[in-house]
Amino acid sequence: MKQFVEGAFSIENLTLFYGNKLALNDINIDIHNKQVTALIGPSGCGKSTFLRTLNRMNDLIPNCKVDGSIYYGEENIYSQESDVIDLRRRIGMVFQKPNPFPMSIYENVAYGLKCQGIKDKNILQAAVKKALVDAALYEEVKDRLKESALSLSGGQQQRLCIARAIAMSPDVILMDEPTSALDPIATAKIEELITELKKDYTIIIVTHNMQQALRISDYTAFFLMGEIIEYGKTSELFSHPKNPKTEDYITGRFG
Amino acid sequence: MTYRVQFEKELEDLKIDLIKMGDEVISNIKDGLKSFLTMDGELAQATIKKDKIVNDYEIIIEKKCLQIILKEQPVAKDLRLITAVLKMITDLERIGDHAADISKMTIFMQENTKPYTVKQMALMTEASQKMIKKALDSFVTRNLELAYEVINDDDEVDEYFLQVKKIVAQAIRNNEIDADYALYLMMVAKYLERISDHAVNIGEWVVFSILGEHKHDVIF
Repeated sequence: MKQFVEGAFSIENLTLFYGNKLALNDINIDIHNKQVTALIGPSGCGKSTFLRTLNRMNDLIPNCKVDGSIYYGEENIYSQESDVIDLRRRIGMVFQKPNPFPMSIYENVAYGLKCQGIKDKNILQAAVKKALVDAALYEEVKDRLKESALSLSGGQQQRLCIARAIAMSPDVILMDEPTSALDPIATAKIEELITELKKDYTIIIVTHNMQQALRISDYTAFFLMGEIIEYGKTSELFSHPKNPKTEDYITGRFG
Repeated sequence: MTYRVQFEKELEDLKIDLIKMGDEVISNIKDGLKSFLTMDGELAQATIKKDKIVNDYEIIIEKKCLQIILKEQPVAKDLRLITAVLKMITDLERIGDHAADISKMTIFMQENTKPYTVKQMALMTEASQKMIKKALDSFVTRNLELAYEVINDDDEVDEYFLQVKKIVAQAIRNNEIDADYALYLMMVAKYLERISDHAVNIGEWVVFSILGEHKHDVIF
């Protein structure tokens, strides 16, 4: 009998095609609750595609066909009954390039809550503040919440996007290379934030930066040509990889 | 096939430097003992001077290791390899010191000191030289079995040491050996015994470089 863990993912026989192209081939892993899981692998290996299956972002891509199942808790998120809107509220996402809406800092964070129908100003204000505090941005922007989000630096914009995701009180945050467009200081801030956030959220992060995976993740999955070659504790995978292909990748040599 | 040509080359260079350092050390042990057995003060002086080359190698290799860590951020087996090199050169340097120490015994001896032949001294020297060579070979060829062999070979050297001690003690009792010479001989024997201990340490770092275990503890 399958054990379902709240807040955790259980992926079974997941296969994904873009048209005729096999992008994910028979993925079977369990992703742990309130841990950071890093997805690594060369470009085009399927790691971002996999990340997007977790809140069904691939639904938006024409000709995309998904087989197998993804259980989030005990819910199969690809079943007919699953509510995609609610799913994406619970499983938030942060992208490679910071993508704040062209509106004020405050409105960016309040936007999702307003869409949910929350109108009470006090509730909104409190929620925006909490999200900004949790995203370690509040102190930097508290005096200019009415200013355009686009006036923020790249690193601040990315933390704003994280705040925007957090404001919806998700359980999970998916991050697709969230620091690849940022300088080392902004990157360090985001990494510190991720370590802080994992107390409350399950975080799954795609990264090309191996040292970053080492620093912030508890588990790492190595993808190659649509398959998971190795999945395990980060400390193990980067010290004693079991598969020679993993070793070749992390040490910069391909077989 | 590799995408890190420069990195690969740097790791190869590191191994070559290590072998060269090992060759210097082995040659110094040989010359040190030869100077002692033949009471050749000049050779002893030359051997002590050559220890500088060994010390320089240690610094060169340390610098290279740190540069590689800085630039290449090695992980997994690469990190183990570089760590092992950093540890091994400390032992090689100490072995070099002992080769110089042996040469110093030669210099301490007076011209009228009467030598006393103990054939185990040559055997002991040969055995400890072989251990160093074997340890470095096992590192370069990633040969775990050979590394374990080095660790076990220490028993042979320890046995020679006990034999030397026994023979010298007997010679003292029989009044066959010059008192000063007996002391110097035992010192040299002890240095050789220590040299083989350092060779064992090197063997243990070879095991680490392959398995990530050091003396049965998994450390990386």
